[in-house]
Amino acid sequence: MTVADLTKEAGVSRTTFYELYEDKEACFLAAYDNAVEVLVRRVIAAYEAEQSWPKRAVAGLAALLEVLAEEPALARLSLVDIGNAGPLAQRRYRAAIQRLTPLFDEGRDYASGGRNLPANTSRMAIGGVTGLISDELVAGRAEQLPGLLSDVLFATLVPYIGPDAAAREVERLTR
Amino acid sequence: MIHIPDSSTLVSGPMAGSETRRQLILEAMVQVVGRKGYRETSVADVIEEADVSRTTFYKHFEDKHACFLAAYDLVVERVLGAVIANCDARQPWLERMRVGLATVVEMFALNPELARTAIVEVAAAGSDARQRHWDAITRFTEFLAEGEQLADGRELPGNIGLMAAGAVSGLIFDELLAGRAEHLPELLPDLLFAMLVPYIGPGAATAEMRRAAAS
Repeated sequence: MTVADLTKEAGVSRTTFYELYEDKEACFLAAYDNAVEVLVRRVIAAYEAEQSWPKRAVAGLAALLEVLAEEPALARLSLVDIGNAGPLAQRRYRAAIQRLTPLFDEGRDYASGGRNLPANTSRMAIGGVTGLISDELVAGRAEQLPGLLSDVLFATLVPYIGPDAAAREVERLTR
Repeated sequence: MIHIPDSSTLVSGPMAGSETRRQLILEAMVQVVGRKGYRETSVADVIEEADVSRTTFYKHFEDKHACFLAAYDLVVERVLGAVIANCDARQPWLERMRVGLATVVEMFALNPELARTAIVEVAAAGSDARQRHWDAITRFTEFLAEGEQLADGRELPGNIGLMAAGAVSGLIFDELLAGRAEHLPELLPDLLFAMLVPYIGPGAATAEMRRAAAS
């Protein structure tokens, strides 16, 4: 992709482009930040609309899958192609993920013995979820992401409450 | 004791001169990409590191990308080979999982460039590299499949291996991005917890984590 491709798509002049952005990379980062902001806000809004975990987690995850399915380009950019964008974008990606951590880590209060779980538990849950989502994206199935809700919910719950309880909660909450 | 093959095993053995040079180029590619990043790496960097001529490089590889893909395949075979070599099939599954994970982590700590190439930079090398990365993760999840038998006939999600692998590779990715490859072995207990918890739950996984921390 070139700056020429961008100015053509946007219907603006090359001068306008360079007034706004130093180069292609700077433009990419701004677009990326913008897209991630939209995604994070929608997920957090859905999450906060519910009263208690794990219902909040279900709502947040459902919103996440919906946004990614609606915007496959954003999904690929965020999760699959981020490596192409260099180390700066990778750090931004990790920072964006950090903002979603509470969605997962409230599980600590929900689980008996949650205080004794490793400090990294939320990152593990996030890794499980992003692994499942990336697998769909690599296979070119972004539009089918909402169908993954049961599995990403299981991946979110399992480090906190174990496979038995997670399977029961998935059954109860996604029926 | 976990045996980690060092990079010299790459070029040892009765190989023809041309094959040795090919191996040297692949090894150089792994190191340079791990150090500079895939995008910043040029063929000139690689031939300098390998100490071969440009002609030799292009005799073996069409371009940087083709060379990277071959180098990536080599890394996967090497890591997978070390895991298989260290895991004793007679050991219980939990023990094999600990040894396998420890093998990967120690290999990465000994060779941070290899680790960065394998986990971080592969994402920058285009869609066919990404597909290879994903295929490699799938091969690692096959080691996990036996864990489903611990479920006593309970229904586990079909892609539970992918959850476990995603959790482990996410933690490793974060450490590598923070430039902490050498510290990965300290993370082994947490990584083990992440890998086992979908199968055995947090209570049992915490016990395994403590065992790993004590050993």
